[in-house]
Amino acid sequence: MALPTSTSTSTVAWSNPLQPPAYNSVAARTTLARPPPAQVGHSDTPMRDPAFDASSQPVAAPSEKPQKVEWTPEVREYVGRAFEADNAITGISREDTTKKLKDVISFFAERSQLESVDWSTYPLPQELLRDERAAAWVQTQNNPLLSSPNGLANSAFDNPQSKKRKSQDKTDLSEPADMSVPPWRRTNLESRITYSNGHNDKRHKKNALSGDVSSKFDQADLEKRKQRFQLGKTGISSTPPWNSPKPDSDADMDNAPCVGTNMSLEKSYFRLTAPPKPETVRPQHVLEKTLTMLRKKWKAEKNYGYMCNQFKSLRQDLTVQHIKNDFTVKVYESHARIALEQGDMGEYNQCQTQLKALYSQNLPGRPDEFTAYRVLYFVYTCNKTDMNDLLAELTPADKTKPEIKHAIDVRSSLAVGNYHKFFRLYNIAPNMGAYLMDMFIERERLHALANISRAYMNVGLRFLTDELQFGDDNECREFLESHGASQFIDKKIDDHGKPQFRVKVKEAASMFESLRQAAFALVDIKGQK
Amino acid sequence: MEGALAGFQQAYYKHDALELASCLKTAPVDRLYDFWRSTNEARVEQNVKNAITYGLGGIERSEVQGWIDVFADFWRASNKIIKADQAQNQGRLSERHSVEVYDAWKDLVSTFQKYIGNGTLPHWIIFTLYFVANDLRKFAIKADTQLAKAKPVTFSAGFSDDVVTTTPKNQKLEEAARVFSRIFALCMSDRNPNLSESRKWAVYCIANLQFKTYFKLKTITLCKNLIKSIEAQADMPPWNLYPKAHRVTYMYYCGVIAFLQEDYNKAETALFNAWAYCYKGSTKNRELILTYLIPCRLITKSEIPSAQILEEFPHLQNLFGDLVSSIKKGDLAGFDKAFAEGEPEFVRRRVFLTLERSRDIALRNLLRKVFRAAGYEDLKEGQTEKDRIRKTRIPLAHFATALRMGSGGGQRVDDEEVECLLANMIYKGLMKGYISREHAMVVLNKKGAFPGTGV
Repeated sequence: MALPTSTSTSTVAWSNPLQPPAYNSVAARTTLARPPPAQVGHSDTPMRDPAFDASSQPVAAPSEKPQKVEWTPEVREYVGRAFEADNAITGISREDTTKKLKDVISFFAERSQLESVDWSTYPLPQELLRDERAAAWVQTQNNPLLSSPNGLANSAFDNPQSKKRKSQDKTDLSEPADMSVPPWRRTNLESRITYSNGHNDKRHKKNALSGDVSSKFDQADLEKRKQRFQLGKTGISSTPPWNSPKPDSDADMDNAPCVGTNMSLEKSYFRLTAPPKPETVRPQHVLEKTLTMLRKKWKAEKNYGYMCNQFKSLRQDLTVQHIKNDFTVKVYESHARIALEQGDMGEYNQCQTQLKALYSQNLPGRPDEFTAYRVLYFVYTCNKTDMNDLLAELTPADKTKPEIKHAIDVRSSLAVGNYHKFFRLYNIAPNMGAYLMDMFIERERLHALANISRAYMNVGLRFLTDELQFGDDNECREFLESHGASQFIDKKIDDHGKPQFRVKVKEAASMFESLRQAAFALVDIKGQK
Repeated sequence: MEGALAGFQQAYYKHDALELASCLKTAPVDRLYDFWRSTNEARVEQNVKNAITYGLGGIERSEVQGWIDVFADFWRASNKIIKADQAQNQGRLSERHSVEVYDAWKDLVSTFQKYIGNGTLPHWIIFTLYFVANDLRKFAIKADTQLAKAKPVTFSAGFSDDVVTTTPKNQKLEEAARVFSRIFALCMSDRNPNLSESRKWAVYCIANLQFKTYFKLKTITLCKNLIKSIEAQADMPPWNLYPKAHRVTYMYYCGVIAFLQEDYNKAETALFNAWAYCYKGSTKNRELILTYLIPCRLITKSEIPSAQILEEFPHLQNLFGDLVSSIKKGDLAGFDKAFAEGEPEFVRRRVFLTLERSRDIALRNLLRKVFRAAGYEDLKEGQTEKDRIRKTRIPLAHFATALRMGSGGGQRVDDEEVECLLANMIYKGLMKGYISREHAMVVLNKKGAFPGTGV
């Protein structure tokens, strides 16, 4: 231990003898834990208080996490520089700097990324603060709605970065013709559209995830994404979403809807971890064009991965701008329908929840259609509690609407085991109800088979085809065979030389019953909130 | 002030938790105003201190401090209540008032919790706390209603992706629920080996308070955890020694929770227990128990309530009367009508989806009539009237006719649907036999074609 460990504070975490000295002879105060109150300048910082002091009281989590943290020399040097007199900035107090420094270091320490940062070039806390304040000021000037800088000061790490980006973005906007401008910033409407050829959006994602530098994107944007994902270098210790910095006060966000200035039609979805920047958010008139474009694309290409991503970013842009009107309803309805078509129940359920709230504010849309879907959705999830709550909400007028009536009939036919009626209703499902019913049709077929197999000795295949609404006998036979019932199907040649199939259901009863139970045990409730 | 606290002294020396709780009641308003006028914001601590020290002789200083804090908090809460009352009279009651009342009352509850937790206040005060906590529930509900009125929709805050947040509209009640679960933990965790002084005696009444809250919040799943943690606790005082009121309420909730999870056997046992021990005079509670016990019995035992029981409870007669008589008669049209009429109330009580299943019994009764109407096989040689056999091969058409008549001719029932309904009966074990499509016949068992009905 080559350090002057004369003080008692150095015992806790300082156990690595190979650790090189963490300071040079420059008399810089490097502790964060105990700022001596009487101290005026820092050049006279007492020597008894060098770098290792910080290690004995981890900066990252002063009291609650007294774990061993070993600061690398780079970090300690960074801390040292932060307190050098030459680096001081007027107007930023030592206390603020100390706090900022703590924030910055703990941000990386919590994510075990201290090593992955280039500390020699990382901005000093006082610089971060200066930028932050300047930006906050600019923002208040630009946007009267966004008058609270508190909302910005919560994430020690993202903000300085985003401020830097901000200035860059501004230049971008002022020079739209510049070739360094990414394609989605160009003003020409047509050029903004990436005619997706299937792998294009994959590449977007890959770039964002791996942090590959591509000539297509400017450095700042990549940097921004890299940091948002925190995957850049330390893949394993990425920030889990629940760990991402949260605003201390929701109220600030509440009062400050963002006003977007972005003009691009397409935008990949990223989960926000910091307040959105207006330059990355698209205003409603752009979003409207986006929706039209997306609808067209969906019809033409049916690329769900791309669609879902685009819709999520669209929804996000609406949210951050507090846009809540008939257009919002349209967006959610569109996304819900696409998700239904694709059988993505998780995404569908999110949209459905939102739509319910939106309709409750009397926004125009298709409430009946979506109420019907909700009924069917709860049939699918077998959620009796939610179903009961939903039934409680329905007014007698609702129940006369054809879509809703259909859904309610579906529900009740299944509740009393009337499979005959159920499969007839399956055939006449209005709107996209059949997509939802597809989610549980197999389950109900097994249920009906279990039922039939207790009540009949044997039945003709045609009877099953008709009752369970298979397209034709072959489809029915395939269904039975795929469920391991082939040995119960008898083939006979009738008088006219045509093959006749009979199913010995009685013998298959226990098999169908266990299949039924398995199918119902497996209700997939992902996306359920 | 001394006058206001006289009742407290009496209750305290009698060790009467209920009477003590009545000193912390906010009604009647006159009394509350008297208490409120007896001091003011600045002098409340001092005044309460004087009154308490004067009134309570010979008890520990720390306990005196506990009571001072309790009554000072109570005064502050009263202050907010009266402000809200005055605001209401002037027609300018806003959600702020209700929230302030709630917050002040919450402080009172936490003060209780603190002093009970560290053993300063005697163990029996936990029952006083129950009443105070129950009031917190009421204030929370009031505050939530006001908040909902003032702010009907919340915008998404933070970085959520969607426009409308799923933030609950019952913010305060949810907060109160968390307070209650801390009180519950306070009771459960009492390690006092002397059971007569244990806070465990309050476990069930606090649990009941939580149940009530969770039901209101529609987070019924949380009740399960509560029941589990009680069942897992080894050193609980004997169940029989708990007050009946606690036991009956607890059993009722356990029954309803099992009912909602469709565990009808368990529900039946619990509800029947609640029914058996319920105080005969509390009509409303007995009615509530029956509201779930009746549908439960329909499912588990295919049993309809006796006319006598329904007569005793006019409300239940209204609710279930028509339904029950249609089931008995096998009158499907009548059942559907009664079921549709009762739907709003059934849904509200969460028995709708369960009752729906009792249509099977009505159907069974109808089919049974067809079977009986078919009469007997001709007597064979050597057979006597006694052991003659019913006709067990019944044409499908007979059942079809019965069903078409039974459903009132409103909806057409086609032949396949008739088969489907019959298959259901067989599948559910309400009818024994099989369907033969070739012969268009239903072949029923010679013995016990309709189990449990005597034929």
